[in-house]
Amino acid sequence: MLQTMSGASLFFQGGTLVLAGAGEHDLVPTPPFRWIRGRWRCEAYHYTTVAGWLREQRIADRVPRWQPLNYPFQDIRQPHVYQEEAIEAWRQAGGRGSIVLPTGSGKSYVALSIIHKVNRSAVVVAPTIDLMMQWYALLSATFGAEIGVFYGREKDPRPLTVTTYSSLGTLMELAARGEKVGNKDSNFHQGGGNFYKLIIFDEAHHLPAPAWSEGALMSPSPFRLGLTATYPTEAEQSDGRGRLDELIGPIVYSLKVDDLVGEQLANYRTQRIRVSLTDTERAAYDRDRTCYGRYVQRHGLLKSHGAGWLQELQRLSAKDREARAALLARQRVVRLIGRCEGKMQALDALLRLHTSDQVLVFTEHNDVAYDISRRYLIPCISHESGAAERKEILEAFRERRYKVILSTQALNEGVDTPSAKVAIIIGGTAGAREFTQRLGRVLRKVENREAVLYEVIVRGTIDESKAQRRRANLQAEEVPGAHQ
Amino acid sequence: MLTNELVKPFLKREGSVLTVRELDTRSAFYQRTAQELIALFQRHMGLTRGVWQKAVEAYEGARIDYQVIRGLAKVLSSEATFTSPPAPLPPVELRRLLFSCGPVFPTPDIFHQQRRQEVVEAVARDLGTTAELVERGFYADLEEEQVLTDLGPAWSAQALLARYNLELARGVLFNALNLQIEVYSHYKDLWHFIKFFRLMFDAEPIAEGGYRITLDGPISPFVKGTKRYGYSLASFMPAVLLCERWQFKALVRAPLWPDLLTYQLNHTCSLVSHFRASGEHDSLLEKRFAEEFSDFIEKFGEKRGRWHLRRESEVLLIGGDTVMIPDFLAVHESDPRRTILIELVGFWHPNYLKRKLEKIRAAGRRDLLLLVYEGLNVTKEQFADVASGVVFFQRKPVIKEVLPVIEQMAESLYGPLPTRSTSVPEEQAGSLLKLLVSTVLESRADLVQEWLPLTELGPILVQHDPSFTPRKYGKHRTLSALVSAHTELFEMCRSTAKGRPILVRFRIHREAVPAFPIPV
Repeated sequence: MLQTMSGASLFFQGGTLVLAGAGEHDLVPTPPFRWIRGRWRCEAYHYTTVAGWLREQRIADRVPRWQPLNYPFQDIRQPHVYQEEAIEAWRQAGGRGSIVLPTGSGKSYVALSIIHKVNRSAVVVAPTIDLMMQWYALLSATFGAEIGVFYGREKDPRPLTVTTYSSLGTLMELAARGEKVGNKDSNFHQGGGNFYKLIIFDEAHHLPAPAWSEGALMSPSPFRLGLTATYPTEAEQSDGRGRLDELIGPIVYSLKVDDLVGEQLANYRTQRIRVSLTDTERAAYDRDRTCYGRYVQRHGLLKSHGAGWLQELQRLSAKDREARAALLARQRVVRLIGRCEGKMQALDALLRLHTSDQVLVFTEHNDVAYDISRRYLIPCISHESGAAERKEILEAFRERRYKVILSTQALNEGVDTPSAKVAIIIGGTAGAREFTQRLGRVLRKVENREAVLYEVIVRGTIDESKAQRRRANLQAEEVPGAHQ
Repeated sequence: MLTNELVKPFLKREGSVLTVRELDTRSAFYQRTAQELIALFQRHMGLTRGVWQKAVEAYEGARIDYQVIRGLAKVLSSEATFTSPPAPLPPVELRRLLFSCGPVFPTPDIFHQQRRQEVVEAVARDLGTTAELVERGFYADLEEEQVLTDLGPAWSAQALLARYNLELARGVLFNALNLQIEVYSHYKDLWHFIKFFRLMFDAEPIAEGGYRITLDGPISPFVKGTKRYGYSLASFMPAVLLCERWQFKALVRAPLWPDLLTYQLNHTCSLVSHFRASGEHDSLLEKRFAEEFSDFIEKFGEKRGRWHLRRESEVLLIGGDTVMIPDFLAVHESDPRRTILIELVGFWHPNYLKRKLEKIRAAGRRDLLLLVYEGLNVTKEQFADVASGVVFFQRKPVIKEVLPVIEQMAESLYGPLPTRSTSVPEEQAGSLLKLLVSTVLESRADLVQEWLPLTELGPILVQHDPSFTPRKYGKHRTLSALVSAHTELFEMCRSTAKGRPILVRFRIHREAVPAFPIPV
């Protein structure tokens, strides 16, 4: 009989596993363990690796704090064959690994089904707050339970929790036992790194970014699922510690795009509406535009700093009075264009025109969004909206109880709004990705009806070049189905 | 805490050293700015955050030091309280009612018969309130709709500027990967705050007294450059300022530069902590004990032996990442090496007691005396396997029962106290000391070459003469007095490096024992 370390125990501490009661000269597997600060320690993601050794050595395992979910599964969709195959492949791989499926093929269904089958406390990690909110809505609807949310503005973890890659580490840092979580003082353990038996990485190709892989290596969850349409290449994973095979497991199932093409695209048209500034607005615009334009030109900021000219102007504005004046002038220009009378009139007219349609309105600035929300009594979703209200608004919109909803950048990604046929862009940045996603919201085909996307642009202002750049970028990215 | 945006403009680097351009707190110009902002803030009592922000923007005007103004305003707002205005319904519910009527238009058309104003009034009627309250409650939960209800501290211009400088320094630490502190005194509060901010630490004693403490978190050794703990380090930083002598060095990834920089400060800096130092005593129990102890010594010290109590000057490191700080250190007057640690185990929560017992066992100190309150949910058996001395008390510790135990422990730990007669006659003291020094040199020839801290001399001499005290060799009260009196045997030097505690070092004089061969 080998000598065992039966007096020792393994516990979870802030994203690491720590051996208590083992000395520096005890025989401990290295790697993963390292002798640091008088104890044997390793990153929590090694938990499955060391579990067998623990049993052999009769070391008490004080890590797991997971609990059964026992939620009813309310998704009555009949799974596709490939979805069932993917789930089975993941199960056979020991509950570790990535499933690669093309966009729109029902990756989320795979995740829901796995959560249901594992039936233990689980956490879903999404790259953006918007996608996280979408998961929140999806999980609430599927399991009919209170879903936990954990990110900067809301920290309320529950047995089934959604979070973002950047907040995951903070959640993993908590220990599930004896921890006050959120504002609530509960005896019941909720949240914490060692609370979740299953961790799901949505859009797992984001994982290799150093700041984003940190949370993954702090998680001891034995069951790990990665979902992506674009598995990162070897080169994309070479930097830092975020290797998917190490942090999640191998690719367990992969399906090509070709197998699924030809069903998701709808017809739509883009219509530009050009509005003019009033005389007073035009005068103010010209004055301010000239003011900062002249400064930028005189100091050659575009030549010296290219796209970073604005940042340079900001830096100079703390030293040079003229730069400060130029920066203030630019701020006024941006504000004026965001809320000029012409745009508001156009919006008013479009809203009246599409009285019987479901309409999505996008603005760039929060304050403009809230002004419109107040004026027309239409719900607004911004980064300040709570998860519950966001979900409620989207649901009401889907059920056509709300005809119009309004959003700042916050609705950009993946939020499922299948019934929207009209989108109105009042303002937005020049980024093509954002524009594509906005298009994507109205792209979805419903009863063969054509979707319309309105771009409201102020004539003869920087708004026009912004829209121009949006187009140019868009063509470079070759979005299928985009035409005028 | 200031955002990176507000800290960035004030960072400077020279090589790999990062410094912060602080505001001159005595500058009349900034005194006035601070004063005006405080007055402006006071005028916004009862108004919304949005209005206050617009007012700050207006105050900035075209000033190029607008980042300073924003920073000062940020300090004011974050120390104040803003609360959501009253609403006839929770805002989410109120909005649900209003949105279900939308979209509405200022002017009616064929599809939209009701005007906005009519809708709001109808909702108000249903709720039994006014349209004005409905409007105010609409987005009452937005940050900018919150109303300033408490101004926070009564700021003076000076205090605001000082606090702003402190926040700049904390802003740097927000990007720190770790923090290494050296402290030489007053560390009790420091441990308290380390624990409070749940920081992970690694401590080691420094030769010249004090501790070197490294702060980061559990995952730090595994992840290159995690900024995960920066927020805690920044929150904690004012606790260091509470110490008397200290210096710290932080490794920082500043927002402007990709490489790692160091940021250093020490007690000569002008920053002021806003954390409150704890009082001298944690509890009434400790306070009374200390008072009664010194009263007792005053009265009966001659007979009982003179012991003095020192407050929490000793830190027991348990395994490098846990500490225990006994409440008192009893030091014998005539022999400062005779010390007994005293810990009062008073009215504590059972869990706290359990942890305390674990610590006491782990410390395994025989020179620790526990004074345990009997009414506690403890049995004497629980203390059976403790290496330390234990005295139980019913209501409060009785000094005349405690002192004999201290004496007894000292006796068994350090042997009998050398009586006065052990001191050698004055005229022989010099030659006897020379003899002692030459025996020391037989095994420690290095002492004529190396400068060592004076604190190391005592133990060396005791090794060769177990009854050694400064008093024995010529009635010197301290070791330093003895050494200074014998320049023919010892050389001394004092280091007075800025920011460091004064360190007295010694070496044995080359000519002390000329007959002895000195190795090259």
